[in-house]
Order: sequence, then structure tokens, then C-alpha cells
Amino acid sequence: MYPKSFEYLRAKSVDQALQYLKDNEGSRVIAGGQSLLPMLKSRLYQPTVLVDINFIPELREVKLGSNGDLRIGAMVTHYDVIENSTIRENAPILSSTAENIADVQIRNRGTIGGSICEADPSADYLPTLMALDARVVLKTTESSREVKVEDFIQGPFETLAEDGEMLVEVIVPPSKANYRVEKYARRKADFAIASVAAIVSLSKDGKVVDARIATGAQQDKPHRLREIESALKGKASKSVNLEAIIGPATEELEPLDDLHGGPEYRKHVLRGMLSRMLGDLLSGKEA
Amino acid sequence: MTRMVTVNLKINGKQYSEEAEPRLLLVHFIRDALKLKGTHIGCDTGHCGACTILWDGKPVKSCQILAVQAEGANIMTVEGLEPEDGKLSIEQESFRENFAQQCGYCTPGFLMMTRYLIRNNEEMTREEIREKLHGNYCMCTGYQQIVDAVQDAQRKYFATKK
Ligand SMILES: Cc1cc2nc3c(=O)[nH]c(=O)nc-3n(C[C@H](O)[C@H](O)[C@H](O)COP(=O)(O)OP(=O)(O)OC[C@H]3O[C@@H](n4cnc5c(N)ncnc54)[C@H](O)[C@@H]3O)c2cc1C
Ligand code: FES
Ligand code: FES
Repeated sequence: MYPKSFEYLRAKSVDQALQYLKDNEGSRVIAGGQSLLPMLKSRLYQPTVLVDINFIPELREVKLGSNGDLRIGAMVTHYDVIENSTIRENAPILSSTAENIADVQIRNRGTIGGSICEADPSADYLPTLMALDARVVLKTTESSREVKVEDFIQGPFETLAEDGEMLVEVIVPPSKANYRVEKYARRKADFAIASVAAIVSLSKDGKVVDARIATGAQQDKPHRLREIESALKGKASKSVNLEAIIGPATEELEPLDDLHGGPEYRKHVLRGMLSRMLGDLLSGKEA
Repeated sequence: MTRMVTVNLKINGKQYSEEAEPRLLLVHFIRDALKLKGTHIGCDTGHCGACTILWDGKPVKSCQILAVQAEGANIMTVEGLEPEDGKLSIEQESFRENFAQQCGYCTPGFLMMTRYLIRNNEEMTREEIREKLHGNYCMCTGYQQIVDAVQDAQRKYFATKK
């Protein structure tokens, strides 16, 4: 399978990449290429120019901001997200999430920025980044803005990124609270049929101080389950009746229907995961 | 006609400088331009792992990368495994002794994974080996002998370190 012909431009810096994107109508960024190559081969995308951002060292950096926020470059690979000690210490849920993505080879090449920009409804990072209240930094030759991941993802394969705009960084507020992140798929390398990322902190006397829960592979985009979050917050963890919360809170969901799983099945799997994962978190079991 | 791009890269220790059309996949470049036919194409969608090569020491799927992106890369293909002409590497020897191949189509990919895994992990359990190989499909063996071979290769590799 061959993509349609295109020109190839290798950017050496963020500024050069942004200039290339601006100067070439119909251009597109290539990051790890793990989602893009299949799109090019099937000719769903037919860019005139590909701007390669693999040769820009600053996009591979992981830093801690002065306020403690993690700043992860767009080209940090899934492999690096698993291995990087700064990420592991400050947002362990993110490293655990990357372990669930695809396989060894694809994790060596695929990037966090590429996965976010692809906006696949089943992408593993998205629920986790939403639960973490993460933001992305988007740049053009003229502008720079920060957008919450939750707002950035608009629908299947749709984001707020405009022509000429590039994702340069992911900002993650640190979270060391207890968490669970799981994906359910028929085979491990497959995209999820249901996925859940949950962060729950309990006070010393067992009250739920904070609960942030998101799900993916359900609707046209991953999203927070705020009804469940608010039903948990402030409650004594021992007194929570999870079934009574999860049932109604997921009633309105209209999950995806594709060859990996129908809507009823997806919802059934989701409810099972929520009940088990939140049950563990409420009982204070460490991951 | 789109502009051709010169790609300078190292494969199995040898330096190459070749022109490539931007849309050319790395796997086709390796097989057709450089005539290294050991790397196979199974699915062309990133699933089967037959096209696995080592890129700066780490396994990647060469059907999921453009040749022009390999500028400056240091690549190893299955041809690079043999320590010297006519001798088999630890990985090849272990696959042979454990009957870990039947038709052999998937084997180059599994061998490259084995080269990487046995050197970059503590002693792996069978479960861990299966987990790390799930990006490689084999339609013949049922995987049992492949797991045997990887375990055997790791034992042999560790023995050379003692
Ligand atoms: C066989 C297979 C199995 C997979 N399984 C999983 C899985 O289980 N879970 C999962 O989450 N993912 C999975 N993936 C997808 C994988 O995680 C990809 O790595 C990821 O989705 C895309 O990252 P990339 O760096 O390869 O981006 P690319 O493919 O290079 O880019 C993806 C899209 O984003 C755009 N883009 C990329 N970077 C930027 C940027 N910085 N600024 C603006 N636009 C940008 C590109 O133009 C393109 O449209 C799988 C992929 C394959 C091939
Ligand atoms: S041919 Fe590359 S993964 Fe199958
Ligand atoms: S030996 Fe035939 S596909 Fe693996």
C-alpha cells in the first residue's frame, strides 16, 4: 500500500516547523507516524507536504515547571513515558497508562503528542489526561495558547487544532494519589472496548477528598464521569453504595457500535470495571 | 514528480546513501533499494511484526516509518545478526534447536525482538515473554516453541556474560 505522493520537509526547530506549516497549504505534521502511516496508506489523508518533527530535540524533553507541573514535550514516546523517572514520580498513572498502549515496537515510535492530536475515541492516554486535568500548549508562528485536553478533543479524530497549529507540550499537574487505570480489549495490542482512569484520594479518617474519573472507548470522545465523582466526594468511603451510583450515572451513555463491540456490551464492561476499580480505591488498596 | 530525498543511514554497520521518494516505506527501501530481503512484510498495517528492525537498538516496525525519516539512523536487520559468515547467532541457534519456526515468514521479526529482549531484561518468565511479543504474529507455531526459544536464547546469552 502506497500513500499518495507528497513533499517531505524535515524541521530542525519548532520555529522552522511552524514556518513550514504556515507556508504550505495542505501540510500536516508527522510525529511517530504510527497512526498517520495507516491513514496515508489508505489515502484517508492526502497531505501535499509532510513536516517531520522527529529531528527537534526540544520536543523530546521532560521538565518540571517552577510550580511543580510536569511539562512533557510532544515527541516524548510511549516508551519514554513508561521509563522516565520524572513522569513516574509525579504522575505514575500516566506511566501505567502508556504500558497499556499497543506493543513494544509501536511504543518505541509513537508519541504522546501524536496520540492526543489523533483524538481516537479509544486512545489510552485521553481518559488519563482528562482525569489529571492536563493541558496542551498549541503554537503557530504568531500565537501560543493553552487548552485543557478535555476541551481540545472535539470528537472522533477531531481536535481544536487549527491549520498551522502544532502541539508542542503537554502540561500535567502532578498527582501522587492512589489510582487505577485499565483497558479492556480482546487482544492486548488492540484499541480498548472500554477504558477507565480513576484517581481517588482518601483522608486519614476514610473520607473521599477527591475523585477524578474518566472513561474512553464509550462515546465519540473520552470524557469525565462527573456524576460519579460528585456522588463520591465528601462521603465516608466505607458507606458508599457503588452499584446505586454507577447504574444511574451510566444510564444515559450511548456507547460506540463497531466491530470491536456493541453499545450494550461496552456499557456492561464499563460498569463492571468501574465497580471493581472504584471498590478497590475506596477500600484504600494501593495499586 | 515529487522531489527525491537523499537518505544517509547505517545498516548492519555499513553506511548507505540512497535517494528515496518521500512516500517510500522504510521496509520497501530496505528490501528493494538496498536489496536486504530478510526483513519481511506481512500485514503492512503495523500489526504483525514481520517487518521489525532495530533502530538505535530498539525494535520498531519498518512498515510504519518512511524511508526519508531514517536519516542518520543506525539500523540492524536480521542479516546483521550473524556474528560471522556461516555461523548462527545465539538467537538463530535457539530458534533452530527449539523448532521455533515452520514456514519462517514471521521469523525475522521474532529474531529481532529476541535480540532486543534478551539483552534488555532480567530473566523473563514465559508470561512476560508472551506479553512482550504480542506485537508479533505467527500463523504456524502456536507460539509455544517461540517462547521456548526466547527463554533458551536468554539463558545462552547470560552464560556468555558469566
Ligand atoms: C497496530 C497498532 C496498535 C495500536 N494500539 C493502540 C492502543 O492500544 N492504544 C492507543 O492509545 N493507541 C494505539 N495505537 C496508536 C499509537 O498509540 C500511536 O502512536 C498514536 O496514536 C499516534 O502517535 P504518533 O506519534 O505515531 O502520531 P502520528 O501518527 O505521527 O500523528 C497522528 C496525527 O496527529 C497529528 N500530529 C501528530 N503530532 C502532532 C503535533 N505535535 N502537533 C499537531 N499535530 C500532530 C498528525 O498530523 C496525525 O494526523 C496503535 C497503533 C497501531 C499501528
Ligand atoms: S508488515 Fe509491518 S507490522 Fe506487519
Ligand atoms: S512460522 Fe509461519 S508464520 Fe510463524
